[in-house]
Amino acid sequence: MDRRKALRQTSWLAGAAITGPAILSLLQSCQSASRLDWQPTFLSNDEAEFIAAIVDTILPRTETPGALDVGVDIFIDKLWAQTSDEAGQAQVRSDIAAFDATCKQAYGSAFAKCSPEDQHKALEVAEANAGTFNPGVWGKAVGVQKPVGFYRSLKSTAIWAYITSEEIGKNVLNYDPIPGGYDGCIAVDSVGNKWSL
Amino acid sequence: MAYFNIDADKQVTYDAIVIGSGISGGWAAKELCEKGLKTLVLERGRIVQHVKDYDTMNDDPWDYELRGALTAAEQKKHHKGGRTGWGSKDTEHLWADDEANPYTEVKPFMWLRAHQMGGRSMLWGKQTYRWSDLDFEANAKDGHGVDWPIRYKDIEPWYTYVEKFAGISGAPLGLPHLPDSHFLPPMDMNCVEKDLKARIEKTFAGRHMIIGRVAHLTEPLNGRGKCQYRNRCSRGCPYGAYFSSNAVTLPAAHATGNMTIRPYSIVQSIIYDDTKGKATGVRIIDSETNEVIEYNAKIIFCNASALSSTQILLNSTSDRHPAGLGNDSGELGHNLMDHTYRVGAIGRVEGHDDSYYKGRRPNGIYIPRYVNLDEATKSDKFLRGWGYQGGAGRGGNPANETSFGASFKDNMLKPGPWEFFITGFAECLPYHSNKVSLDTTSLDKWGQPTLAIDAEWGENELAANRQIQIDAVEMLTAAGVKDVLGFDNQHEMGNGIHEMGTARMGRDPKTSVLNGTNQVHGAANVFVTDGACMTSSSCVNPSLTYMAITARAANHAVSELNKQNL
Repeated sequence: MDRRKALRQTSWLAGAAITGPAILSLLQSCQSASRLDWQPTFLSNDEAEFIAAIVDTILPRTETPGALDVGVDIFIDKLWAQTSDEAGQAQVRSDIAAFDATCKQAYGSAFAKCSPEDQHKALEVAEANAGTFNPGVWGKAVGVQKPVGFYRSLKSTAIWAYITSEEIGKNVLNYDPIPGGYDGCIAVDSVGNKWSL
Repeated sequence: MAYFNIDADKQVTYDAIVIGSGISGGWAAKELCEKGLKTLVLERGRIVQHVKDYDTMNDDPWDYELRGALTAAEQKKHHKGGRTGWGSKDTEHLWADDEANPYTEVKPFMWLRAHQMGGRSMLWGKQTYRWSDLDFEANAKDGHGVDWPIRYKDIEPWYTYVEKFAGISGAPLGLPHLPDSHFLPPMDMNCVEKDLKARIEKTFAGRHMIIGRVAHLTEPLNGRGKCQYRNRCSRGCPYGAYFSSNAVTLPAAHATGNMTIRPYSIVQSIIYDDTKGKATGVRIIDSETNEVIEYNAKIIFCNASALSSTQILLNSTSDRHPAGLGNDSGELGHNLMDHTYRVGAIGRVEGHDDSYYKGRRPNGIYIPRYVNLDEATKSDKFLRGWGYQGGAGRGGNPANETSFGASFKDNMLKPGPWEFFITGFAECLPYHSNKVSLDTTSLDKWGQPTLAIDAEWGENELAANRQIQIDAVEMLTAAGVKDVLGFDNQHEMGNGIHEMGTARMGRDPKTSVLNGTNQVHGAANVFVTDGACMTSSSCVNPSLTYMAITARAANHAVSELNKQNL
């Protein structure tokens, strides 16, 4: 599916109040064919398919765009290519391989090739086994941060990539680059989604 | 505004030289220029003009290819500074290159430097609090370090003077140990902060929770605009709403027509004339051409930042000052201080799910010191005390939710749970053993000795930290905050970015480097008025005190110059 078209369709769908099951079938139709229509820099094609499938399962398209609609998978490839050192990149590859190995053992195929039902099961298991992030203060985690594991870390990266995309940051979240003043007490209902910046 | 005077290389004699253009250097330049002195400001890095050179001031996350993350090469370039957690693309160009500017950590020490016009005044936290006699008398009372040669009454008029020009917002409280400034209207607390303030103050007599006192304009001042609540301060503010040298003092100095600012000027040493018994100028290395140039002046203000000023003094040797300029006492380089930091508590606040806020307030709350003020608040576990900074906001971390998929995504777009945190900043005692020295075996790319930093927290700071965490947990718990997590992440000095000491003021030349008006002992026409001059560290942020001390010293310098005493 062409990514740009998908985004336009999403905007059109926004008024149609499509909910769970219909969205799921939409996703399934998207995923039924191999959909890698871009050239990864760091990831292999199989690894890119894994990232695409997992971020799409975490952040699927609803009335608002999904992770794939805003290029979260492409961004993560770029991020790891440019920000990770060699050891970090090797770690990511082995983490993806380990996740897929678990899926093959449990469901008979790599995560990207699993049925949506099995993908959901795989993520439920991953959620149950993953650690959590400590709260942060001024850019750093506080307290003793235990390792959170690959899944939680990837989920966090996917969420960050999603909300800092222009489509989500400007059109879905509340974008207010120059607030002009500070009001410390407003009704949350008057805002809807959270502030973007 | 043409700051860079191309005649700078031809003209080598000035009335005054100011080394550095950060918070204190900017004030020195303004005061000296306004008093009619032809002043050369030497800046190690490039020119950053107000607004014109604020390259990232309007960027959104998606304007960066990596949304603000640093590349592996950039992380390497900031491998020391990055340990503080501050590194992102919007300000990466404003932090010094750790690879090109090495220093030795004898013990772990984060030294965050900013090598461009304005220095760290562009990047600072803008928290501004007056010190009091609780601070200026502390050394004399408990015997640590040496006595300050000044008291609150000496500096009080200068606090007022700099505050009126800098613009400080805040609310008066009337505490003797945290004197009120000359205030612009305070910023607002949000509903949760107001609620917690009431609960904490009701439960703990003698403790107050106030909105931070900050160098942000809440009303226009001298042609500068008020804060627009973008919280993009560190990139440079297009409205000039926060205090920086770039937006406030250097334009004032420039307006006099008396300032020449020379970028790319690494000060190698201050030149001392043994026969005249005073300094005659400054020797620089042009960082671009490696050319060595000497400039002459009647007075020299050393404002390179605490450790850089001391590095210059240590490197300024002569027959009269063989161990470094002003080092008769052997105290030059010693008594390095910082504030402990990242120790406190955080938790979740219930009962305010229907409330939110508008605007990104570049400020938080402050809980002034409440221990060791008098007999009634005296602790037997540690000396001196701390204040807390903190704040409430709707945050949370959706990645921690054990769910995913359609409803998870839609929930994640809504405001998260309210959280509240406080983190203490504790006073650090002046220990002789906490020191910096020149490492002549490790030269930088300009052939200059680098600095070796050998400092660590003492038992008093560790004891204070333990109590900071205990009290923080107790306050949050009593205020009804849930899932309270106490933390102590203060592992190394420098993280507070409040380096103080190493060229302390004092009453006795035998035990100090500077006198009561910041003049170097044995070189009375050299003034050091940045963090290096501090005799103790208080627990409150130091920048406002640097400003006041600098304006006071500049006034004294010109007065002495006019009397032909220098």
